[in-house]
Amino acid sequence: MNTQTVSPREQRQKDRFISKASQTAAKYLRRMEELSGAPESMVPFFRVLRDIYVDGKDVSREDGVKTVGTYCVMAPHELIYAAGAIPVKLCSGSYTAFSIGDDLAPRDACPLVKAVAGFQQIGVMPLYDNCALMVLPITCDCKKKLAGYLAERCEVCTLQIPVSKEDEDIEQYVRELYQFLGVLEETTGNRVTYDSLADAMKKTGYAQFELSRFLRLKKSLPYLLRGTHIMAMMNAASYMPADEWGRQLHLVNRELEQRISRNETVTRRQLPRILLTGSPIIFPNIKIPLLIEEMCGILAADETCMGERGMSDPVVPVDQSFDGLMRSLAIRATRPCSCPTFADNRQRIFRLKQMIRDYQIEGVIYHVLRGCLVYDFEYRQIEEALGELGIPVIRLESDYNEEDVEQLRIRIEAFIELIKLKKPPEVRRTERDYYG
Amino acid sequence: MKQAKKIWLTAGVCAAMFALAWFAWRLPFFEFSEEYSAEQVGSFLSLKYLKNLLPLILILLLSSLGILICIGVRKRIIRKDPAFGRFFEARTGSGGKKVPGQRKLGFMTVRWAAMLGASFLMIFGGTALNLRFAEVSLPIFSCPVNTEQMTESSCYYLAHLNDLFELPLKDILLFFGTTIGFALLLGRVICGFLCPMGLLQDVVHGIRQKARVEGVAMTDKMYAALTPVKWMMVFLLLGLSFLGGNFCNFCPLVAVSPILAGIQTSLYFSGFFMIFALIGSFFKRRFFCLICPLGVLLGLLHRITPFRIKKDCTACTECGACYEACPMGIKQIYTEREKTDVTDMNCILCGECIRKCPEDNALAMTFAGKKIYTASRKQVMSGYHAEGRKQDRRRGGSV
Ligand code: SF4
Ligand code: SF4
Ligand code: SF4
Ligand code: SF4
Repeated sequence: MNTQTVSPREQRQKDRFISKASQTAAKYLRRMEELSGAPESMVPFFRVLRDIYVDGKDVSREDGVKTVGTYCVMAPHELIYAAGAIPVKLCSGSYTAFSIGDDLAPRDACPLVKAVAGFQQIGVMPLYDNCALMVLPITCDCKKKLAGYLAERCEVCTLQIPVSKEDEDIEQYVRELYQFLGVLEETTGNRVTYDSLADAMKKTGYAQFELSRFLRLKKSLPYLLRGTHIMAMMNAASYMPADEWGRQLHLVNRELEQRISRNETVTRRQLPRILLTGSPIIFPNIKIPLLIEEMCGILAADETCMGERGMSDPVVPVDQSFDGLMRSLAIRATRPCSCPTFADNRQRIFRLKQMIRDYQIEGVIYHVLRGCLVYDFEYRQIEEALGELGIPVIRLESDYNEEDVEQLRIRIEAFIELIKLKKPPEVRRTERDYYG
Repeated sequence: MKQAKKIWLTAGVCAAMFALAWFAWRLPFFEFSEEYSAEQVGSFLSLKYLKNLLPLILILLLSSLGILICIGVRKRIIRKDPAFGRFFEARTGSGGKKVPGQRKLGFMTVRWAAMLGASFLMIFGGTALNLRFAEVSLPIFSCPVNTEQMTESSCYYLAHLNDLFELPLKDILLFFGTTIGFALLLGRVICGFLCPMGLLQDVVHGIRQKARVEGVAMTDKMYAALTPVKWMMVFLLLGLSFLGGNFCNFCPLVAVSPILAGIQTSLYFSGFFMIFALIGSFFKRRFFCLICPLGVLLGLLHRITPFRIKKDCTACTECGACYEACPMGIKQIYTEREKTDVTDMNCILCGECIRKCPEDNALAMTFAGKKIYTASRKQVMSGYHAEGRKQDRRRGGSV
């Protein structure tokens, strides 16, 4: 596509696209940076987001190393590292790309898919254009059709996700991963060996190790840091090699340890603690976390696949053989995954309950991207379960544009007020004591 | 329809096992000219001891051969497979690198020490250390055909129930008292921590892990298929003596403890069974335990024993790591979403599930209500601590 000669009109369109996209990204980055309380060691994560979205760079890497684009959390990055390539997560939150994709996909298709199609169509993002291969786990109908659309333009490999998690399904998925690994070998021209897989697992394992430390620190002190900033870190992981991300997170952890020892938090007030769950939140579509925290709520935790959930479940190898490692990857990609693509996803309710317990959550915001049916479907179930716990929950539907911001603002504000009203008076008294 | 199939399957297995049992003592594996000679060997270095070890050495050699053949056959299968074939070398070779695992020292150290210690004491306690508690019967598979064993093992009289009732009443009471007492106190902790057969199986499993040979991943259906076999074994253990045979005729354990203790032991079908059990547990951890009749009997008490596996169902993410790690293939430990007590009749309380569980407090082993071993993410990821420290050093040096 890039080799074709570009007509002046097309060139103008591209230029307009680039400037608009980078403006939006820059704006949201600024708003995130302006939010108080970001640890200093978080700067590299913001820098990565800026490099990719504002400056239109590709993932930094050595010459000759290919990138493989992935979607969802079910495509194990370990395999991509093992084949000598670097994975990048291509799920997108770009409003500008969405507006192009709007014409490419049916009206009711989800904005995430439209944005990806838009990027592919306009062809100005090196992140997308340089991918040697794209891997699409087929988690919903939109992803399936997206795979077909992308396949006309680049190399695509699909992963068939089982509907349930019976033992046979897992065996099937192991086989699927072997096939995927074969495609990766063809793409990169490298051979996968036991050692390369072990090395790859060590890389991602280290990132998960630092993440587990991070989560432990976060649990130990409420208001230690802001959820929007965590979102930024998690999003940055899409565009950084896992070990590098882990190293940066190591520095964040050190800073947080110091904060904890000084008992330093981002706020002295008892802000309503909100959990965000539902459809993925991807930079620069970060308006909901920003709204929550700009309006004096605290995003205390998130259960979304581009947030903490995507990476927090560790790979637990039991059998040390090559096949055993592959099995552990297949199991980790499916069993703990609380993605609504699985027919029975009651485990998500338990996960939410545990998070409510761990992070003292006072309200849940259920985010639904317009057209994301699977997440929307589960709202009722979750509303019911949370109702039993007495945790208020609202469903927020949003799209990839800024037209709904005002409406979102009003609803989030009302929700935060509601939580404040529900707070027991003792809490408020201690709050006043603080200032008295 | 399905029920009928199950009954037929069970009947078929019964028939086959009966046939095996019938021929058990007609199939000599290794025969000494004199029968079980209980005379004591002078020293563990003597020629006589070595000679008495012969059947065991033979078993080990044949098992190794069997394992190699199995590996060879599987290599062929992998090579021919459309999806797996291209990774033939990666799958069958064993690289030098390692995925960081978990801290070495911990609960499992205790377990291994207990298994080694108990097995040593049981087998050599009498001969080497002169410890003898002949009144005590432990429900454990450490064969008392080794007359020099530290304690009696209940399996002998369980397999000879007809003889048991001819003993003086005091002995009968002692037998039941100690057997049931230990079973109530320890339950299948005996399997996880004490039984020499368990140790043997864990050792061959360990060898496989070190060699990075892949195992056989069993699915729930395969585990279920072994259930009739298991109950048949129970029937053979308890009932065969009344039908004119007895379980000891083909019990594989007779091939370990007496021989190691230096007692001349002729093996019949037992030798073959032992080879089968060793090969099985090489590829599937604790394969014999899956069909062990004594284990079943111990498991019957699983509701009242003080050692228990507890689960916090909310903390669990259903990641399946525990199920994958469980040598006994206990699936409800991962699927359970209501009960807090997940101790199963098949559970040998080995703690592997807890070791591999990455969620804080999701699983725990308790003794009389007190937690003695709890799952934690920190523990699961402990192998990476070194990496983290390296990071600190690197930054420290450059600043
Ligand atoms: S042969 Fe087996 S059942 Fe018989 S006494 Fe020995 S270990 Fe027990
Ligand atoms: S199940 Fe049987 S062989 Fe296995 S450890 Fe328990 S008693 Fe020993
Ligand atoms: S449930 Fe746990 S303790 Fe019990 S046998 Fe399985 S791994 Fe061992
Ligand atoms: S390992 Fe722990 S978290 Fe995973 S399924 Fe088992 S109990 Fe649940």
